[in-house]
Amino acid sequence: MVISGCPTPPAEEVTEEATKKEVKPAEEETAVVTEPVTIQFWHNYDAGAGQIDVLDQLISQFEKANPGITVNQIYLEWQALKNNVVAGATTGMLPDVLRGDIGFVPQFQALDVLVEMDTAFSDYADAADAVLEAPNSTAKSGDHYYGIASNTNTKILYYNKDLITTIPTTLDEMWATAEEVSSEDVIGFCEAWMGGWNLCQYIWSYGGDILAPDYSTATGYINGSVAVKVIQKLADLYAIGAFSGPTIDPGAPPDTDGMGTGKYAMTIDGPWKAKDLSAKYSDLQYGAVQMPAGPAGSIGVLGGEDFMMFKTSDAVHQDAAWKFIKFMTGKDAQVEMAKVGQMPVNKVALADDEVIEAMPLLSIFADALQTCKARPVTPKWGDMEGIINTKATEAVLGQKPVQTAMDEAAAEIDALLQQ
Amino acid sequence: MTSGVFFITSKYFRKKDNIRMLLLLVPGLVVIVMFTFYPIIKMFIMSFFDWKIGYNQVSPFVGIKNYIAVFSDPIAGIALTNTIFYAAVTVPGQMILGLLAALLINGIKKFNVTFRLLYYLPVVTSWVIVSLLFRYIFSNNGLLNYLLTDVFKWIPEYIGWLSTRWPAMTSTTLLGIWKGIGWNMVIFLAALQAVPEEYYEAASIDGAGYIQKFFYITLPNIKGTILFCTVMLTIGAFNTYTPIAVITGGNPAHQTDIVLTWMYYQTFSSFKMGYAAALSFIVAGIVAVISIILFKVLGHERI
Repeated sequence: MVISGCPTPPAEEVTEEATKKEVKPAEEETAVVTEPVTIQFWHNYDAGAGQIDVLDQLISQFEKANPGITVNQIYLEWQALKNNVVAGATTGMLPDVLRGDIGFVPQFQALDVLVEMDTAFSDYADAADAVLEAPNSTAKSGDHYYGIASNTNTKILYYNKDLITTIPTTLDEMWATAEEVSSEDVIGFCEAWMGGWNLCQYIWSYGGDILAPDYSTATGYINGSVAVKVIQKLADLYAIGAFSGPTIDPGAPPDTDGMGTGKYAMTIDGPWKAKDLSAKYSDLQYGAVQMPAGPAGSIGVLGGEDFMMFKTSDAVHQDAAWKFIKFMTGKDAQVEMAKVGQMPVNKVALADDEVIEAMPLLSIFADALQTCKARPVTPKWGDMEGIINTKATEAVLGQKPVQTAMDEAAAEIDALLQQ
Repeated sequence: MTSGVFFITSKYFRKKDNIRMLLLLVPGLVVIVMFTFYPIIKMFIMSFFDWKIGYNQVSPFVGIKNYIAVFSDPIAGIALTNTIFYAAVTVPGQMILGLLAALLINGIKKFNVTFRLLYYLPVVTSWVIVSLLFRYIFSNNGLLNYLLTDVFKWIPEYIGWLSTRWPAMTSTTLLGIWKGIGWNMVIFLAALQAVPEEYYEAASIDGAGYIQKFFYITLPNIKGTILFCTVMLTIGAFNTYTPIAVITGGNPAHQTDIVLTWMYYQTFSSFKMGYAAALSFIVAGIVAVISIILFKVLGHERI
């Protein structure tokens, strides 16, 4: 394990004893920045999309407006970000601020490393009011908030205009279109993975669910008639060469390359896909519409990132970190980030003319965000997604009957829920 | 009296030497204790706990539960089988081809260094880069399918080399063999050059042919090197991570996972430190048993 950038540890944080020390909320100690302080900020902003350049500019603005505070930003890709927090939880080497996947919040909270932000900062409610409620709900675990929304997204349908002439409006039409356009050289539909991030949208839109609403069981949900019907459809499409993806078939092209080269006709993905396709395949004629609806509507999966803070920081660092987070969730920073592909959560920024101009697909995503749902907020969600991916892939590949595979998934998830 | 003085003096020097030797050993010992012995002991302890990595979290003792979990985990079984398959194919594959290359290069006078360099080149090339290269070659729209289908027209449809378990594992073992030939060649070349020329001359006088010389002179004289290569390559095969991580990522549905990729997944995706520690000790045990068997079978030749 290589820690790409070591955060400046507070004097006491590297010892085991120190990690066990109860850190008081920032307000209880002197939280006024009296001497220069450097905060460590781990993130996974996309350098290729120009987001890190914008971040550097924003940090300069913040540092000018807040003399004495220096922000040291460190880029880590998605998995490395998670791995470094896992390693840091043991050693105490954690950043002051992290901007990462909304799914990290319950997982890191289960490691007991996150600051309970709504308790620690009296003005948390004001900052939270400035951002959209649904994305910010992903930072809540139990009765408290352990983060604040940074940016949001959901997924929409991208299609190759040269291959798709009639745009599907329902999921049934989408499967039929995938079948129609498939040939020796074209696969009608692609999914990058088979976890909850990819399957929830179909199961929800057909009126089913992954777990019971109280997260007590998966039996009757992930192996219920709706989920089984959805996965059976994908298995049928795979069998006739109308559906694939890089994890179902490691020999198949990755989703972006497959779309860009015309191998895949359709895929459902987030706002980054538009940036990736435009950057890598400028000749590709693609269109984008809201995800086709099922009988229960077009219910996508809520994605995005949250800002989080760690207990290992002392009060002075926490105070400076909170100032930085408020700056990053403020209108100006959110508008600048929108120009490089980050969908704002700040309500004022969302209505800003510059944002609307910078994000041509914003209105489609804005509509999709009205009906999308968050994945189950539980620390075990990562494991559950792994189980769903494994069992659904086995079913789609025809290695097991769909019902058998999903019964096994339900039993394994139930065992996790009982732990 | 003289002998008494000598005794005291030599004792003094021995003591002094001991201190010097100790000082010379300390840096190495510190590193080994910190980065080898301590992690091994710590991990052995972890394997008996539901090890929590979180802030201020208590890790409950679970006895041999993690070991039971590994033995009852079907994916761990798949990963172990895949690893054994990888070792069973790549170890003899690399050694046979490496020895063949060494024999050929050893017999030529011209371009000896050039061939050595060319064969050794894959060894010093990055695992990630060659893995990406092999992924490109074996992917559905890759070079191999293009040649077989479009250029030579030997097969009517593309073959999914990486799409299912055994073809994907076979493709990966080809990479392992290709990348290891050079290392084996260098080791065997050194061993071949150490075989006394007189043996071959005597055998020639007795009328022995190339094959007889190879089986009755060359092989017995490089037995120690064969044992060394077999043990080192077996350990290396069980430590393989990069080619699978890059080429298939363990997909589809963990069917191409090997022990290290599955261990990594359990550690960093599921945070199951105790499980991963138990798995690593089971794998270490298997490697130790294989090594002992190899030493017994191939004898204790000087390496």
